[in-house]
Amino acid sequence: MLYPLVAGVLFGLYFSLVGIGLNLVFGVMRIVNLAHGDFLMLGAFVAFGIYTAAGLDPLVGIPVAFALFCVAGLLLYWVLVPRLQRARDPEMLSFILFFGFSQVIEALTTIVFGTSERSIPSRQLASSLAGIRASLFGGEATNGPFRIFGLSFPASWVVAATVSVIAIICVYLYLYRTRLGTLTRAVMSRRDEAVATGINVDRVSAAAFGIGLGLAAVAGVFAPFMFGSFTPAFGIDATVTSFVVVVLGSLGNPLGTALGGVVYGVSYMLVQTYLSSWADLLPYVLLIAILLLRPSGLLGRRVRVA
Amino acid sequence: MPDTLRHYLIIAVPLLIVMAVLPSVYSNHLLLFNFVIFFILAQGVNIIYGFTGYLPFGYVGFFGAGAYGFAIMVMHLNAPAPLAVLVGGAVAVVLGLILTPLLRLAGAYFSIANLAAALAVLHLVANPALEQITKGPYGVALNGTFNPTMAYAGGILILALTLGIVVYLKNSSFGLALQAVREDSFSASMSGVNVVKMRTVAWLASALVAGLAGGVFAWYVSVFYPDNVFSADFSIFAIVFALFGGVATISGPLIGVIILYGIYNLIGFTTPQYFQLIYGLLIMALVLFLPAGLVSLATRRGWYVP
Amino acid sequence: MIRKASIALAAALTLGTQAFAADAPAEIKIGTLYASSGRYASISMPVHSALKLWVEQKNAEGGVYVKAFDKKIPIKLVAYDDQSNTATAATLYNQLVTQDKVDMLVADSGSVLTAPAVTIARDHKMFLFDQTGTGASFFSKDNPYIALMADPVSTIWPKPVADFITHDGPGLGIKKVAILYSTNEFTGTQANAVRKFIKDSGAPIEIVYDQGIPTETTNYTVIINNILAKEPDAVIHLGYAPNDIAFLRNVQDVGAKFKMLFCIYPGLETELLEKNVGAKGLQHVFTYVPPQELEYPVNFGMKMSDFKKAWDAKYKDGKIEFGFNSVAGYTTALVLEKTLSVATSLDRMELRKAVFSLSGKLKTLDGTFALDEMGGQIGELTPLGQLELNEHGHIKFVSIYPHETATGKPVYPRP
Repeated sequence: MLYPLVAGVLFGLYFSLVGIGLNLVFGVMRIVNLAHGDFLMLGAFVAFGIYTAAGLDPLVGIPVAFALFCVAGLLLYWVLVPRLQRARDPEMLSFILFFGFSQVIEALTTIVFGTSERSIPSRQLASSLAGIRASLFGGEATNGPFRIFGLSFPASWVVAATVSVIAIICVYLYLYRTRLGTLTRAVMSRRDEAVATGINVDRVSAAAFGIGLGLAAVAGVFAPFMFGSFTPAFGIDATVTSFVVVVLGSLGNPLGTALGGVVYGVSYMLVQTYLSSWADLLPYVLLIAILLLRPSGLLGRRVRVA
Repeated sequence: MPDTLRHYLIIAVPLLIVMAVLPSVYSNHLLLFNFVIFFILAQGVNIIYGFTGYLPFGYVGFFGAGAYGFAIMVMHLNAPAPLAVLVGGAVAVVLGLILTPLLRLAGAYFSIANLAAALAVLHLVANPALEQITKGPYGVALNGTFNPTMAYAGGILILALTLGIVVYLKNSSFGLALQAVREDSFSASMSGVNVVKMRTVAWLASALVAGLAGGVFAWYVSVFYPDNVFSADFSIFAIVFALFGGVATISGPLIGVIILYGIYNLIGFTTPQYFQLIYGLLIMALVLFLPAGLVSLATRRGWYVP
Repeated sequence: MIRKASIALAAALTLGTQAFAADAPAEIKIGTLYASSGRYASISMPVHSALKLWVEQKNAEGGVYVKAFDKKIPIKLVAYDDQSNTATAATLYNQLVTQDKVDMLVADSGSVLTAPAVTIARDHKMFLFDQTGTGASFFSKDNPYIALMADPVSTIWPKPVADFITHDGPGLGIKKVAILYSTNEFTGTQANAVRKFIKDSGAPIEIVYDQGIPTETTNYTVIINNILAKEPDAVIHLGYAPNDIAFLRNVQDVGAKFKMLFCIYPGLETELLEKNVGAKGLQHVFTYVPPQELEYPVNFGMKMSDFKKAWDAKYKDGKIEFGFNSVAGYTTALVLEKTLSVATSLDRMELRKAVFSLSGKLKTLDGTFALDEMGGQIGELTPLGQLELNEHGHIKFVSIYPHETATGKPVYPRP
């Protein structure tokens, strides 16, 4: 019982990171980014490129991927979103638009990189940190299994979970401690009023969009370790899982996603332990149940209409 | 009602006649059959999305449920194929009833919950624990009922039924009330429209046609795996086709299928993954420049499009 | 009157056939599908690439010998991309049969994409060259229009594994076995077969863990922990390549020590697994010994070493892995070539007769081609082997079971 619980928390924290970018984009712009998982996949390629081309610790990929996709997000925002917002039903059309975009990304990546599985050896992750740890606390300068409560877990999971927590704290600080973040929250809760009070909604939204894609790419850096391997086709599955996590926590509330991720992770691991062949069914049932019984998500606001 | 009659005569009847005659001219019957299936599914999406605004991202759940309803009737009860197709439709309606509470959810929440529901049904059907009933992941092979000609004829009948429903919705006060609900459910309910009941009726009609389509599809292909009949491609294609042509019209989804599925088959036949790229770009261009679908080219000029 | 008519008819028929025989087609059309993207791309592309390699090679020599016309005729490969989508695949198979009117119909790889072809071939009474679709439901006594080319049916395939455990296992101290499988047709059927072989053997082997998990599963940490709790002497993991990659990486990551560990894909797609899991993670893992490690004596087509050379020359960029699936594609091509060289016409039943006449006689780089009466492949069995590191730290295969082809002794328990 203890093992799946701890594994679930680690796994779930990572999934919070996977979902948080999707939720930020939705919360601010009411845009359903169906290409979210594809940005994750591209983030994985960044880490892969950094490791294979330069032999560097994939952790170096975090700032690189974040910066790269933040800029890409800003550019993309100005090209795509203003047109979309003028439409009658932007939320639904964004679904379709980003579905098309996800197809384009997958096709281009397949054309460039081919279809076979890729990965990065587990011990390469945080290899630079292992050296520091060894000099501080003694022990070996390698990333062997990590022991918690006397049970051993993959070191890469612990690293991914730690980075996820840091990323979530950063998102919190951004939203609650910066000016742009405060404006972002204003846009999230009442877009119309925000426009009326003269907030530059476009600037706020573009920032949120860039950060959202950047976070997806950061989550992607860990994908080769959390999923064993990745291919250009891996995006759509990641998107669906992100939705489950986001809705569990409450759509439109990025911090709820942290809770959603943990609930997802723990319940997944418990089912995998006790009813393994049903493991993939549970998240969906959980999702529907939460939407119907506690429609605002675990933390969040009203979503029902009738 | 002259409009109703006109719509039957200028759209439904010619389409049905063409689809009925084509097999004697063109011998790739399965391609024609797939056109019939996508006509039905795109119109099914039109019924629920076009007239009520709920985007069923897990629409394939009904299709797959219909296919398995058919398969179970044939495998376990030796039912004749036409009866089994009807049961397939009934199974989808029952599933629709079970999922009715989802209609309480707004916008993207509904779409995501619907997607989760479809995945849940897939994982249920494909679970090896139910091998005795559904054959689990090992797939269905139906021998006794195989009859492509009759299955094709069945498809034409279901298409006729579907078109009948859409023509009715387009011209009846019921359909107009539904669209009023879509625009503004609050004032519609104030004016005495029973919002919940009407939505449920549209939802079940949409489920019925998808379930019947799944039934004839199972009849036609007769060897399939859960992955085949629950493939997310069915939902995505049906939605994209309907939106491309333009929803809340009779002709829009049909035009969407003819053009997009036509291109899909023309290009998909000869070029490799560059096709996916073109398709994705096309979808994006459409959403950005023609968000109300192709028919809006005409409606913008003030022409009436049935 | 009737007699006269029938004589005339017979004469016309003879004339017709002669005219036909003299009128050799400019090319033999072989129709097939492949998946350039999506879930099945990684198994489909190597198979298809091998088929293309063969076509180019043969056409450079002026074509293949076709007995029906007693001359060499070039091959035209009509290939469409189904993008791993089964509805698209179904349409395209129909396109090949009804529009392109191909002479020979070859299925895409894997059971899921082969399934639509089985129905269509049967409907149009077209003989289906099934490359690697091992689905047990494809082969039945009432369907004469199919034969499996390049791998054994799933119900037979794991026999060497089960036999090793039941025959040699008790001597080594193997008493408790854990079976973990992905719930899809391919690996689910193999799991059923292993279970049945072990139970039917009467050997003192207990199955202490037997779980199916969804094929989409990509992390096994908790499952590995659950298996460890049962203290099995041998763990049999049956999954697709991504499952094996994730499973083996997780075994390493949590530092789990299993005394015997069997996985399918380290043998079938060794390059891919070595790239993703690392040589260390594959050390002492039991797996199928694929044909490319064995140099079977051939009586038709290229030897393994020549095929590998030809492959490396053509596919230099390494985007498509050389492995079991590429050999499977080439094996299919050899069966096609040999069939054309013995079939007296391109009629479907004659093609079938020709294919079945090769059973037990055709020896390719994939081993001996042998069919059962329903068209299931029962030759080309892959022995059980174990992966070891050579002095340069590279993976090498040690064949373990059956004993006749063994090249070494098992390392048990895995240190």
